[in-house]
Amino acid sequence: MPPGNVLFVAGLSHRTAPVAVREQLALEEEKIREILADLTGRGLLDEVMIISTCNRVEVYGVAAVPGEARSAAFGRLGSHRGLHWRDLEPLVYTVTGDEAVLHAFRVTASLDSMVLGEPQILGQVKDAFALARSAGTAGPVLHALMSQAFGAAKRVRTETEIGRLAVSISYAAVELARKIFDGLEGRAVLLVGAGEMSELAARHLVDHGALPVYVTNRTWGRAQELARGLGGTAVPFDQLAASLALVDIVVTSTAAPEPIVTAAEVRAALEKRRTRPLFFIDIAVPRNVEPAVNEVENAFCYDIDDLRSVVEANLKERQREALRAQALLEREVVKFAGRLQQLEVVPTIVSLREKLEAIRRAELERALGRLPGAGEETRRVMEALSQAIVNKMLHAPMVKLKDSSRAGHARRWTEMISELFGLRGPTRPDSRE
Amino acid sequence: MNAVLYDVALTAYILAAAAAIGSLLGRRDQLAWVALLLTQAGWICHTAAVITRGVELGRLPFMTMPEVISLVIWAAVLLNLWIERRHRIRPLSAFVLPVILALGLGLPTGLRSIVLETPVKSGWIMVHVALVLVGLAALVLNFGIALMYLVRERQLKHKRTGTFSRRLPPLETLDRLTAATLTIGFPFLTVGLVLGVLSAPAAWGSLLTFDPLALFSLVMWVIYAATLLGRVMGQWGGRRAAYYAIAGFCVLLVTLSAGVFLHGRHGS
Repeated sequence: MPPGNVLFVAGLSHRTAPVAVREQLALEEEKIREILADLTGRGLLDEVMIISTCNRVEVYGVAAVPGEARSAAFGRLGSHRGLHWRDLEPLVYTVTGDEAVLHAFRVTASLDSMVLGEPQILGQVKDAFALARSAGTAGPVLHALMSQAFGAAKRVRTETEIGRLAVSISYAAVELARKIFDGLEGRAVLLVGAGEMSELAARHLVDHGALPVYVTNRTWGRAQELARGLGGTAVPFDQLAASLALVDIVVTSTAAPEPIVTAAEVRAALEKRRTRPLFFIDIAVPRNVEPAVNEVENAFCYDIDDLRSVVEANLKERQREALRAQALLEREVVKFAGRLQQLEVVPTIVSLREKLEAIRRAELERALGRLPGAGEETRRVMEALSQAIVNKMLHAPMVKLKDSSRAGHARRWTEMISELFGLRGPTRPDSRE
Repeated sequence: MNAVLYDVALTAYILAAAAAIGSLLGRRDQLAWVALLLTQAGWICHTAAVITRGVELGRLPFMTMPEVISLVIWAAVLLNLWIERRHRIRPLSAFVLPVILALGLGLPTGLRSIVLETPVKSGWIMVHVALVLVGLAALVLNFGIALMYLVRERQLKHKRTGTFSRRLPPLETLDRLTAATLTIGFPFLTVGLVLGVLSAPAAWGSLLTFDPLALFSLVMWVIYAATLLGRVMGQWGGRRAAYYAIAGFCVLLVTLSAGVFLHGRHGS
């Protein structure tokens, strides 16, 4: 990173801004591409990327004066809908340096999401970075930041359970079914009654391989319609009890005032099923399945409250896992600081090497010019000699530079070495005021 | 030398059991790895111990009751490692290793007091011992998995969904594995026991001599036979089969301790 420049994140999210504001800032890709090019074109930022989702609009940038850069960026973002920077300013948070790095890692790893641990955000950050790359506004700092953020997000996914537990009722049903059955492939599902949540649960089960699907309803037409939607078979409502012997998972959600599945029916069905378990997911209120069904051996019945408490427990667990993830990310931030410092000395090392190499080549040519009769052997020896001298001379300053970057005073040494060897300044001329 | 190796192996198993139980209750995945590594290390030491014992004594190392128990443990640990790997049931050790340790804690003393035993006359007896040994190892696993089944079933019935519940494998997998271990173990046990009965007259001179181990073996065999029959008929699965697996194992424990403590023909 050029000396004097700062990595910063400025943005607003579901934590700070109401949806009424967020929706006005959400722009399509082409507009964002324009803004990115415009911001770097004006020389306000060295590097910039913009994340724009329904829950957050954030500017990641490297600039000499972050305050100026963010007001320009948000001014441009808001201008499409007539929002002024002074209206947005109270909603925008800004972090710089290590805090900005941590923020980037937290966002990418879904620790800052509305639903903790939801998986979409990683893809959204990747898209935003790809956009900045294709617009040519992502430089070495953002490259380093994002590649580490993606790695850290992956570690959080695999090393903590933050994304593994169901946090919706319909998904909890799948999670429970997998505790009973050894895989859901080929398990028959019976959907009793229509309802958004039960249909969603059935759909999730099918997505996990459950097959075939039977649908039954008091209204025959509705049953057929639902069956078509799920790729299943409609079954007459009076066949319900008989069907229990044929299926593995039953999802109920009818408006019946009395239970429609009794323990006696389940017991009879299980006798025919030999020892295969039967799982009831009862989403209806009042309940469709007699509570006593859960007492029957090999039958398991979860009602809406049970499912809700599963979801609540999982949410709490995700919060606990978020603490572990946070600690993991904090360690990643320390690693990144080291990487960034190395990044500072790389340009100096490269130009020092280039300079000495140019001298070596020129002098070698000259010397060989004076030795017209030199054989292959002589040429090789002289090549090796010159290379050895350059490498030996480079060794000490390179070690010094790398050490100084670790010790945190790289700038003094890059300047000193540039001065001594007459290198071009490590800063790009256009970023200096 | 072999005694030291046995001690090392047993210590590794004890630590592995603790780590496995810890991994089941806690939220650290690393403990499961520690348990796995310790189990593997213990098993390798155990193998070395069995071999060095055979070399040091100049005979096959399963001729006394403690030696047989040691080999049952050896085979059971191997089977445990294999099932964990094959079916990805990480906390299986948490259920199986404590059982194995209950069998094995008496071993260090048992193995050190080498009594002069009568040399075995018939090669059939060795086959008898080897077959029974494999059968027993499978039944140790059968017990561990049945125990796990019952815990899993309770968790599901009582609708508990903690970390513990998340670590346990699906109910159906456990039921299938109890069936599988019984199906493997039972034929070995049966053929092994029949060989024992047939070769008894040659070794002891009479079939009718009272021997506590033989008697308990018969009871054990009947229980396992009934369980297997129930399963084949399709009526006993799940919880009931698990209870029988546990009952059968209790008799198995009594049988083995009868071999060690009561002085019948099997005891040395």
